[in-house]
Amino acid sequence: MFILSVIRDTIASIGRGAVFMGDVLVCLLKGRVRWGEVFKQVFEQGVRSLFIVILVSLASGAVLAMQGRVMMERFGAKEFIAQLVALSLIRELSPIFTALVFSGKSGAGMAAELGTMSVNSQIQATRTLGVDPVEFLIVPRILACLIVLPILVVISMIVGIFGGYLIGVHEANIPSIYYINQTIRCISFVDFFTGFVKMFFFATLISWTCTYKGFFTSGGSMGVGRFTTQAVAMCYVGVIVSDTILTKIILTFWGN
Amino acid sequence: MISVRGLSKSFGGQKVLDGLDLDVARGEILAVMGPSGTGKSVLLLHLIGLMAPDAGEIYIDGINVTRLKERELLKFRRQVGYLFQDSALYDFMTVEENLSFPLKEHTRLKANEIKAKVEAFLKMVDMAGAGSKYPSELSGGMRKRAALARALVLGSKVLLCDEPTSGLDPIRSRDISMLIRDLSRQHGCTTVITTHDVRNAFRSADSAVVLCQGRAVGRGSEQALRGLTDPFVKEFLE
Repeated sequence: MFILSVIRDTIASIGRGAVFMGDVLVCLLKGRVRWGEVFKQVFEQGVRSLFIVILVSLASGAVLAMQGRVMMERFGAKEFIAQLVALSLIRELSPIFTALVFSGKSGAGMAAELGTMSVNSQIQATRTLGVDPVEFLIVPRILACLIVLPILVVISMIVGIFGGYLIGVHEANIPSIYYINQTIRCISFVDFFTGFVKMFFFATLISWTCTYKGFFTSGGSMGVGRFTTQAVAMCYVGVIVSDTILTKIILTFWGN
Repeated sequence: MISVRGLSKSFGGQKVLDGLDLDVARGEILAVMGPSGTGKSVLLLHLIGLMAPDAGEIYIDGINVTRLKERELLKFRRQVGYLFQDSALYDFMTVEENLSFPLKEHTRLKANEIKAKVEAFLKMVDMAGAGSKYPSELSGGMRKRAALARALVLGSKVLLCDEPTSGLDPIRSRDISMLIRDLSRQHGCTTVITTHDVRNAFRSADSAVVLCQGRAVGRGSEQALRGLTDPFVKEFLE
């Protein structure tokens, strides 16, 4: 009985999530977009995550270069550190780290804000004022996420590469010009493309999950905590699992 | 003005409204009373189309609310003001922005006209000068008054108030009840107030209906209701 009820609830939840996304798509297709609200959200979501994305990217680029140096030196190939750092960050680490940081900061913020509005009847109040809450509250947040996350990922890539550069040049004693040249030469369009495909997928996944969970929050302040935690946990699992699937698909078609 | 016919609603097998019939005349102020869980708030949510009934129909000013689609409901709700039990002011907006919001959404008024209208409504609810405050900086009574101003700012023909005195001390309860009565009269609103606060219900309403297990068991003025022999009505009013 318990398993059946879990399956039934899961199917109902997926159905409701699909209808919710359908409402968002209808607003987008009919051009019901409040650009003022979108830019307000772009600023809020961007500011929330920017500092921590920079810090995490700088550290991950530096750590990658440190570990890369140890391994590469064993094979006498330490000049390839630049390529290792750049390709790892652009193809994999920057999109995934940024998506995880963004889920924990801006995603949680979105879910908690909407959740608080939901339990305080503010979402219902929006309807009583003759305004579609999906158009007013959800569409701007989802669009903002689709704009902000790519910007944050590009920043993460640049800062991460700079972190690797600091270690490569100052610790591994690779000449600065050589390091920069190696970085530029190794990056191709396909590398950016794979990173950006993942990033847009993650942006959709995070914004959908967090706005959906926030919008349907119930159960007072405890409910806000529970639904926000669920949203972030779902984003983390979703990002990591989908990254594996997307990587396999991308390597199959654009492996070289 | 408002006509409810055979309204029924169940949640998980429990019948909350059971074939309720109700009429409210234009300009009348009606209090819907009853203990918690008798479907008072559920009735209001049906009146504004936030909940769909299992059976029955609701007509407001000749419009069958139960037949409206979501986009039509959004348009219909512009003529209905709704005062939530917990005020439901946007906490990320100031009081002034809360009142301006429906005007910006649904009217073509210029910024200075909106400002003037908002100030007039704030003065009307005795909150002049509090427009720049956020809801979190206001007392419970002030939040209720600001929410009442927001509910009426579009010139609503119908005002629905869900437990307007809950969480307020006796003096504030009396004040908000009188304010609802005065503003309803002033704006010519047909008003429905749900409450279990008998004393304040009769301060603001012309008549009242008592609900028990989703049905109306008594209807009339305070005097008429106190004269009823129904044991539930007698016990509730006492």
